[in-house]
Amino acid sequence: MIAQIGNLFLSGAFAVSFAGLILYALSSIKEEKKFETYANWLWMAKGLFVLISSGALIYLIMTHQFQYYYVWNYTSLDLESRYLFSAFYGGQEGSFMLWVLCGFLVGAGLIRWTRKPYRAPVMFVMMLTQLFLLSMVVGWDFGFTKIGASPFRTIAQEMPNAPFIQANPDFVPSDGSGLNDLLKSPWMMIHPPIIFVGFAMMTVPFAFAIASLWTKTYHEWIRPALPWTLAANVSLLTAIFLGGYWAYETLSFGGYWAWDPVENASLVPWLIGTAGIHAMIIQRKSSRAHKASLFFAILAYVAVIYQTFLTRSGVLAEQSVHSFVDLGLYGQLLLFILVITIMGIGFYLYRYREIPSVDKESDFLSKEFMTFTGAILLFILGFVIIIGTSSPILGRLFVDNPTPPEIQFYNDWSMPIVILMAFATVIGQYLFWQKHTWESLAGKMIMPLILTSIFTVVSIVFGEVRNLYYMVFIFAGWFAVIGNGAVLFELVRKNPKVIGGTITHIGFGALLLGIIASSVYTEPLLDERTTQYNSRIAAGDVFDEEGFPVTQPVEMFELEINRPKLVNDKYMVTYEGFDVSDSPRPGQQTYRLKFEPIDGGDTFYMDPVVYPMMTTSSMDNIDWSVDPHVRTGWLSDVYLYVAGSKYVAGRNEEIDQERRLQRMAQTGAEQDSTIEDTQKIEIKEGESIDAGPFSFTFMQFTPASEESLPENTQIGVRAQVRVEHTPSGNAYDVEPLFAVYTEDGRSYTYSPPLKIDRWDMDVFFSSIYPETDTIELTVEGLDEEFEEDWVLIVAEKKPFVSIVWLGTFMLMAGFSISILRHWEREKAVKREEE
Amino acid sequence: MKPKLLIGIFSIVIFTSLLMYNFGNSISTYVNFEQAENRTNSHVVGKWDKTGDYGFSRETMQFSFHMEDEDGNIRRVVYSRPKPNNFEQATQLVVIGEMRNNVFYANEMLMKCPSKYNENPDFEPAETAGM
Repeated sequence: MIAQIGNLFLSGAFAVSFAGLILYALSSIKEEKKFETYANWLWMAKGLFVLISSGALIYLIMTHQFQYYYVWNYTSLDLESRYLFSAFYGGQEGSFMLWVLCGFLVGAGLIRWTRKPYRAPVMFVMMLTQLFLLSMVVGWDFGFTKIGASPFRTIAQEMPNAPFIQANPDFVPSDGSGLNDLLKSPWMMIHPPIIFVGFAMMTVPFAFAIASLWTKTYHEWIRPALPWTLAANVSLLTAIFLGGYWAYETLSFGGYWAWDPVENASLVPWLIGTAGIHAMIIQRKSSRAHKASLFFAILAYVAVIYQTFLTRSGVLAEQSVHSFVDLGLYGQLLLFILVITIMGIGFYLYRYREIPSVDKESDFLSKEFMTFTGAILLFILGFVIIIGTSSPILGRLFVDNPTPPEIQFYNDWSMPIVILMAFATVIGQYLFWQKHTWESLAGKMIMPLILTSIFTVVSIVFGEVRNLYYMVFIFAGWFAVIGNGAVLFELVRKNPKVIGGTITHIGFGALLLGIIASSVYTEPLLDERTTQYNSRIAAGDVFDEEGFPVTQPVEMFELEINRPKLVNDKYMVTYEGFDVSDSPRPGQQTYRLKFEPIDGGDTFYMDPVVYPMMTTSSMDNIDWSVDPHVRTGWLSDVYLYVAGSKYVAGRNEEIDQERRLQRMAQTGAEQDSTIEDTQKIEIKEGESIDAGPFSFTFMQFTPASEESLPENTQIGVRAQVRVEHTPSGNAYDVEPLFAVYTEDGRSYTYSPPLKIDRWDMDVFFSSIYPETDTIELTVEGLDEEFEEDWVLIVAEKKPFVSIVWLGTFMLMAGFSISILRHWEREKAVKREEE
Repeated sequence: MKPKLLIGIFSIVIFTSLLMYNFGNSISTYVNFEQAENRTNSHVVGKWDKTGDYGFSRETMQFSFHMEDEDGNIRRVVYSRPKPNNFEQATQLVVIGEMRNNVFYANEMLMKCPSKYNENPDFEPAETAGM
């Protein structure tokens, strides 16, 4: 019932949008206010319908109605309610609905605030994009073709040919397949809404650009469009930051950026949007660059839709790190991108001759030229990344079955571009606030250049930078920070309201410095043995069993319990054991690692986690996942995760054995008799050691009575040992004897076995090591390999990740200050009109 | 205006050609194990072959397993890092590296998992790929 309501209102919203679109079109053509008013009502109605529909979907999710595919696919009974709620936009269909809702709110704002000539055409474009987005989720099936994939479709509709559906069409699963554990993170809850707010806001400059072309008013549109574009940028930037931060804290690939298609999907619109902001600022200040403002405003939204097409149509399915299921929307998405591109670029070219342009070129040394250079550089960077991300399409020009480009492709192209940008920001900022000749500018630059050189040299010395290219990069980064810092210093005294841009540019410089430090100068943390082994690999002295030289350095090291190792000549690292707990995730282990800096700094602990992935693990196969621990610091982070441990290996072994036993039981094969085995265990007083399902605890020494000892005994002692069968909890205390006696002038040891009948096990107290206070037990009949507890650690030291975040926050702050300023101006203009 | 325009067009053409040339060089094509024998940096798509032994060796610090490519060739793959997350649940693997003497040495691995989410990180690059 609820689902029918949800579906009905989605269809209603789609129909209403269509009607509204026609009314806005009529209003734009006939300049008839009446139509626009009706259409605005329809806009509101559509928003209400989508809200009701979303409410229905949330209700289905909250009440665990697993007969619906969406509910079954993204949630489960044990999911906390906040993640149940975020599952609403967790899937492709729901995220389209969220996008529509964000677009609705933005449109409502536009209805309220937009100035006269632009109203109807702007809303027409907004409505058109909403119509396309809604078409992705209406789920109309005409038999010969389908439109959209409804979030309200049942499992039976999704998989009509599945055998369990054939057998029972009303089949309702008892539990859902749940949410991927990696995504159970508050960062991931807020990430999608922010990104779709950004995407929705990025529609606004596009809509204004179209309205400007329609009304042939080329000067005024940027005033209302600029604050929206800035806001879209802040949203996208925040979303990109959240995604990067989450990846860094959660995944084991060890970074915040991987040039992944989905990451690029939000970065490219951001870059082109930023290029648009630069062009709009020139236009506002000097009445130039009309063509560029329009072009970038159109292109930023085209980029949003193009990247949406790439990531959601299944085009990237072969090679994306984020795989999207193709919901059969390929055709619709293709139509969407084509309509947006043709409407935007086509209309732009159609009007191209009319768009005002200045006859006189700007001087090289002018704010217009420099700001424009910035815009072009941003655009080029965006263009390069689009080329790379489009490899499944463009790559076919070169090879049949293209792979993604190597990461190097992105790095090689972005590095020189951002170096140029860094220099342009400083010169541009100086020229922006004051006219300069070459001489006066050179005079201004002396101090920043001296400071930059000093900071660069210090960085090169301390960072042990050997690569000339990186030296230039670092110089550019410092120059952007210091040069813009000098401008900020002057502005704060004169007019603190206008510091937004300057702060943004300082943030950009800081970001560059943070990126190069944290990515190029990341060093693995390794113990001495592994380091030596790696230098042998580098020298080509290590060969594998096939006789080939090993080329890859080992990037992890092993720790045995309570045996400290010196790592990177800096820390003594001790593995102190682990706890298993069922909260927040059943079966998760938290490992304790003690780090003691040998130069006398504070001791700290790292607690990486390993847990079974509930969504994908089954009785006979556990899928282990890791949760890295990042210790953040101002100067450097320590990033660490457990790549393997005795406990995990043991659990896998047990599961393996159970599987084998089951198979034997099924085939009726003879069970192998367990092999009698002798093991030696060294153990300290008070220590416990696990061997398979048994644990041995050496409680204390106890005195041995005279009659149990042989003659001429020099030493005779018993060890009280508790042997526990961990799974059952049964325990026995045994007190095996150890004695040393002399016979004919020679020493002999005497250690009679103590039998534990129940487990068919013999325990001997076979030796004693006074120098380490340990005793040796020999155990017979234990068919488990005994080994010390161990962990495998992958750890990295990443310098100045904090600066990456700092730079990002400064960008956000700078953009936000600019929004407020431009918004105030726009409001002032509106007040004058009224 | 004319010479400026020409210079502009010329530099755009140069830039784009260079970009496309470099892009063309930085992508390769997916191959099967047999084709991978005589190349460097091959990308092979396939499935984990569960019948062969697999696991991480603490002696060699390598994870090894058997993989069946899309044309049914089965080869041993050696990966000198820990077993990636979600290795077992991957419906598809992509190994990137080189073939030597019928053993594939992977420098990178990608796991493709049944997608559950908009931002699905299951298919994770096992290499740091910062800037």
